[in-house]
Amino acid sequence: MSRRSRWITLGAVWGAVVVAAVVAPFYLEGFWLQTGLFAMSAAVGAIGINLLTGATGQLSLGHAFFLAVGAYAYVYLSTDVGLPTPLAAVVAVLLAGAAGGAFSPIAGRLKGAYLGIATLALIFGGQHVLFNAEPLTGGYNGRPVPPMELFGFVFADTPDLVLLNVPFGALERLWFLGLLVLAAAAAFARGVLRGRPGLAMNTIRDHEIAAGVMGVPVARYRAGVFVLSSMYGGLAGVLVALVFQRAVPDYFGFLLSLDYLAMIVIGGLGSVAGAVIGAVFVSLLPQLLTRYSDSLPLVAEPGSGGVSPAEAARILYGAAVVTVVLFLPGGLLGLATRLRRVIPRIKELRWPNSATAPASRR
Amino acid sequence: MIPELVVSDVTVRFAGLVALDSVSFTVRPGSTHALIGPNGAGKSTCFNVLSGVYRATSGSVRFGDAELTASRPHQVAALGVARTFQNIALLPRLTVRDNLMLGRHRLTRSGFVSAGLRLPSAGREAARHGARVEEIAAFVGIAEVLPTPVGLLPYGTQKRVELARALCMEPRLLLLDEPVAGMNSEERREMADLIVSVRESLGISILLVEHDMGMVMRIADSVTVLDFGRRIADGVPDEIQRDPEVIRAYLGDIEESAS
Repeated sequence: MSRRSRWITLGAVWGAVVVAAVVAPFYLEGFWLQTGLFAMSAAVGAIGINLLTGATGQLSLGHAFFLAVGAYAYVYLSTDVGLPTPLAAVVAVLLAGAAGGAFSPIAGRLKGAYLGIATLALIFGGQHVLFNAEPLTGGYNGRPVPPMELFGFVFADTPDLVLLNVPFGALERLWFLGLLVLAAAAAFARGVLRGRPGLAMNTIRDHEIAAGVMGVPVARYRAGVFVLSSMYGGLAGVLVALVFQRAVPDYFGFLLSLDYLAMIVIGGLGSVAGAVIGAVFVSLLPQLLTRYSDSLPLVAEPGSGGVSPAEAARILYGAAVVTVVLFLPGGLLGLATRLRRVIPRIKELRWPNSATAPASRR
Repeated sequence: MIPELVVSDVTVRFAGLVALDSVSFTVRPGSTHALIGPNGAGKSTCFNVLSGVYRATSGSVRFGDAELTASRPHQVAALGVARTFQNIALLPRLTVRDNLMLGRHRLTRSGFVSAGLRLPSAGREAARHGARVEEIAAFVGIAEVLPTPVGLLPYGTQKRVELARALCMEPRLLLLDEPVAGMNSEERREMADLIVSVRESLGISILLVEHDMGMVMRIADSVTVLDFGRRIADGVPDEIQRDPEVIRAYLGDIEESAS
């Protein structure tokens, strides 16, 4: 394929994605919009943990803790402190980063799986606080999340808004906010990965000693990436709270951290696109199973005694993780890249003169 | 201005094992100095002390005014000390260009914010240093493989990429750990020529660990010989070749093997 035709294909694909994302709320019902929004927030969080685990090789089992910091800080700052909601969201993300910074003396010194074990403490400590600091967190029942209000525009069901004969409720409005946040988060992470910090992070992952010898302050970088990843976690937390409209402690447990690891392994370690693909896969699967549980074999209605959709989804993406680890080292993204490389080669059999595209970085 | 590297009385102990036993030598500015010795003599340990990877149990290493034994690896790098590795330490999936750009890390500034927001300053910096990377690649003879992932290159070329990456740090002292190990004679000669031309055109000091005696004797200005962690000889190549203790270390004791 020539450079030009590749650009045209790429532009067409992206154009289709953007158009589909923009028109989606006009056609999809609430259930799918909510699922999509969960996927967007998961994608933001997954990008963050992929910077840490995928690109820098630092395992974290504490990602859910930073989502909780973001979600609860947003609720607390907007409800109790009375900050305007956009400011509360920004400060919540900064607070999640500060929480990561407070942990960074540990995050900078421990490497790989050892950090993973240390971050477990964050989950259990965090859960304890969420359940027991009732004035702050509302305890077991959690707290309602005030809707975002940007320049007088409220991301809630009231006041009524009808666009092209489609009633625009909270989910439809949040959809566009989610898209913008995800696009910005993805663009920032991509810049980091393709620039000077990304090279240093990849070298720390693949050859720590070489990184130090080449002048990379390894501990400081590990701490810095941990803080950045916490901020992505916090942003994902704010977003999920806005969609859920209630922050409950149960959600931010150990299983959520494992979900995030499953996302980046399934999607593809170390890249933004991999994180997004994995997040969509892992968020969509349980919802699809819930939706179609009556027509699927072996999956029962929740509470009826059989395998519930949520359990079935966990089993399925457990199997997906094993499949990816065994057969698809690059995750779903790697599979897509491989297909893209194979298809021109098949064409080449017919037109032997065209050259294959060189491998791209990350 | 290239300072002297003064290694004095460096001792390294790992639990009960003495890897280096009060070793001293000096690398004069702009000279090529070889560190040789049989396997297990402590050469790589010495390199790891010099680059801040290992801590010396005692002794000091001075490079100009700086004390290297108290520094972390990135602080040593910031002084302009670059090294290559015995076993290649490149990122195989990245292109040669990206691997070389890592060498520019200490000379560039853009961090998470400027790279993430793609500030123009980060773009300008990358372009400027990219141009220098191309110059260095041309000097080392790897310009045509810049867009190729390192893992696809033959071993001899990867060794050159490692050298180029070290040169990208604009070093004042270059530590080369077995630069021709595993190469065929043609590649060895090319690498030796390259090392000589690095020294001549850049005027930097080079400290070299190497098993290829022919190459050491041809390109080194002075030689330090280690055996079982001790320094057994130090001098110009001609002296070293005739030194009875060096011959004994490499070939064994004649009387011992006769009896």
